[in-house]
Amino acid sequence: MTIPAQRDRVEELTVGKGARLEELVDRESLSQLAKSFAELSGVGMRVFDSDGKLLADASLPVELVTYLTTLKVAKTAVESTVSSVKNLDPGPTGQASIDGVSGGRYRVLALEHDGRRVGRLVLGPYFPPSLKDIPAALIELEPALDLDRARGLLTMAPRVTDESMDRLAQHARAALDVVMFSGLKALLTGSMHLASVRESYRELQSKQDKLQVAYDRLKELDRLKSNFLATVSHELRTPLTSIIGYSEMLLEGIAGEVVGEQREFVTTIREKGEQLLTLIKGLLDLSKLESGTMSLRRGTLDVAPLVKDVAQTMAPHAKKKGIVLQADVEAGLPALWADGERLRQVLLNLIENAIKFTPTAGSVRISAKLASMAAASGADEGGLVLLGAQRTAVEFRVADNGIGIPESERGRVFDAFYQVDSSSTREQGGTGLGLSIVKRLVEGHDGAVRVEANEPQGTVFVVAIPLKRSTLRP
Amino acid sequence: MQLDFVNRELTIKLVYYGPALSGKTTNLQALHKVAAPGSSGRLMTLETKDDRTLFFDLLPLSFRSQSGLAVRLKVFTVPGQVIHASTRRLVLQGADGVAFIADSRTTETQANTDSFMDLKENLREHGLSLRQMPLVIQFNKRDLPDIRSDEEIAKLGAQGREPVYLAVAMRGLGVVESFIGLLHLTWSALDAEHDLGRKFGFDAREFMNGVAKKLGEQRGTDELLAACVGGALDVLRPEVTP
Repeated sequence: MTIPAQRDRVEELTVGKGARLEELVDRESLSQLAKSFAELSGVGMRVFDSDGKLLADASLPVELVTYLTTLKVAKTAVESTVSSVKNLDPGPTGQASIDGVSGGRYRVLALEHDGRRVGRLVLGPYFPPSLKDIPAALIELEPALDLDRARGLLTMAPRVTDESMDRLAQHARAALDVVMFSGLKALLTGSMHLASVRESYRELQSKQDKLQVAYDRLKELDRLKSNFLATVSHELRTPLTSIIGYSEMLLEGIAGEVVGEQREFVTTIREKGEQLLTLIKGLLDLSKLESGTMSLRRGTLDVAPLVKDVAQTMAPHAKKKGIVLQADVEAGLPALWADGERLRQVLLNLIENAIKFTPTAGSVRISAKLASMAAASGADEGGLVLLGAQRTAVEFRVADNGIGIPESERGRVFDAFYQVDSSSTREQGGTGLGLSIVKRLVEGHDGAVRVEANEPQGTVFVVAIPLKRSTLRP
Repeated sequence: MQLDFVNRELTIKLVYYGPALSGKTTNLQALHKVAAPGSSGRLMTLETKDDRTLFFDLLPLSFRSQSGLAVRLKVFTVPGQVIHASTRRLVLQGADGVAFIADSRTTETQANTDSFMDLKENLREHGLSLRQMPLVIQFNKRDLPDIRSDEEIAKLGAQGREPVYLAVAMRGLGVVESFIGLLHLTWSALDAEHDLGRKFGFDAREFMNGVAKKLGEQRGTDELLAACVGGALDVLRPEVTP
């Protein structure tokens, strides 16, 4: 498992080597703090990190020291003091002092954070009140020293006792400690925020990967199922052709006269065989449609002859059940660019369904007219102005006054194998494949199919086939 | 664990785990209160809202053994609320020992179980098993009504592997005992794995007594360890080869 960088960061800040001073303090704020300390105490303050880098500088000019830097020998001595102060290690006690050539004293304190030294605090120069006169060493060292002037400047230098300095140093250290603690807290909070987000992202990503695997597997299974259906349907059809063929030959008397009950039985065999064939064809169609291997053979298609033909085909079936089948085609309909055979299958399927669910003495009506349909579905989520553009379509309506479909079921009737009422299925028969095939065929034509209620009773299936194909879908 | 050979410094990470509002932060506050000023740093609480921990609390403790080894203990709490799962996993990362703070109230039994399963799962995510992790269990809030009885806890505790401690963290009772128990187990495990005692000439007993003293305890380690009501304190000790 790879560990994200931010997690490392939190680890480093808490149990690792900790934060550097520079990361814990804001340099600008630190400078202000140092300045405020210097103004309050009259003593300069400088903060160095553990590498000796100056992070904040609030040194106050002490005129005596400034004067000494104008003198040749004393200048070197002052510079040497400054450089030793810079490099002074506060030692195990965490505190050290160093006296300059002017008699000014510097206090160097270790800055500790979480038990580790992260930097140094330098306070000074300050002049202990015990220093009454210019140090003899300085007088000896610098021959060009104007003693009166130096004495005058010494009286103006900041006077702080060592005891006061102890307290000031403690205070400065405590203030810096608070600053560092707040800095670490902010640093950790930020790092934790990032680390948490990354961790959540990682978690989501791993879930997403698992889902993707599952999805790919399902897709593969679905493909296998379709292949299986196609193969099985095909294999089933072959022996069935023989069963139907031989029963037909028997009925035709090729193998001798078939009489009485024999004829009745053979007829049943043939009828049931054909029923089975229809079912298998349906399965085959569905699997072809699902696997996308069914291609439409489109051509110019006149609507009126199509509807008439379908009505004629179904008329005997309707008549047998005592149902009136009406067909009504609007005059002057333009021709469609469609697969006539498939569209015929759609209408036959819908009419057969309508007849099946309509009681004796009811009526089924098929009509075709010019209508308009939305360019694309999905406008509920917005973009209506684009998606809702109307296209001209031929609308086929198959209306019955049968048992109807409850509104809650209307969306699902197009699912494969779905039955509104399983008990009614047994009574009415059917595989639950018809409407699913219808939907796929219609969609293959870039059209749409929907169910509406027929007033006062029954169902209307509405199929809209656009005149022009949308360029959106393949 | 982080080992700095140059500076002779050992950093150990201890995590207080448990369901929301079981008293993990209160345990740390109690430890912070009793710890000697030189041994304890500031208790850091990251981002709280309504007194609930959002990221973690961190109490840094540091002790020095007579052999000169500096031992830094970083004591963390995890956020108990269920939604902070990813944060818990982050905090648990690299833990050397875990104290599970359970709420003694009978109504919280399920929350305890859920949190414990969460701990197990998160350890597994880090490639660790509960069995490998030094663990003590503390039943907190012993002063409240409708709690699981002492007898019940003692009976179950005796059958279990982990040392079980009873506590009232709000009043600081049982807090040091639990902590010493955890430190003892954690040290034993780390020592068994890295042979720290020999490498650093480290006397664990002396060190533990020192820690107890720095936590304001008059009692010695043995007495503190004996406060547990079950489990074994030596399960993680190295096998003694004859």
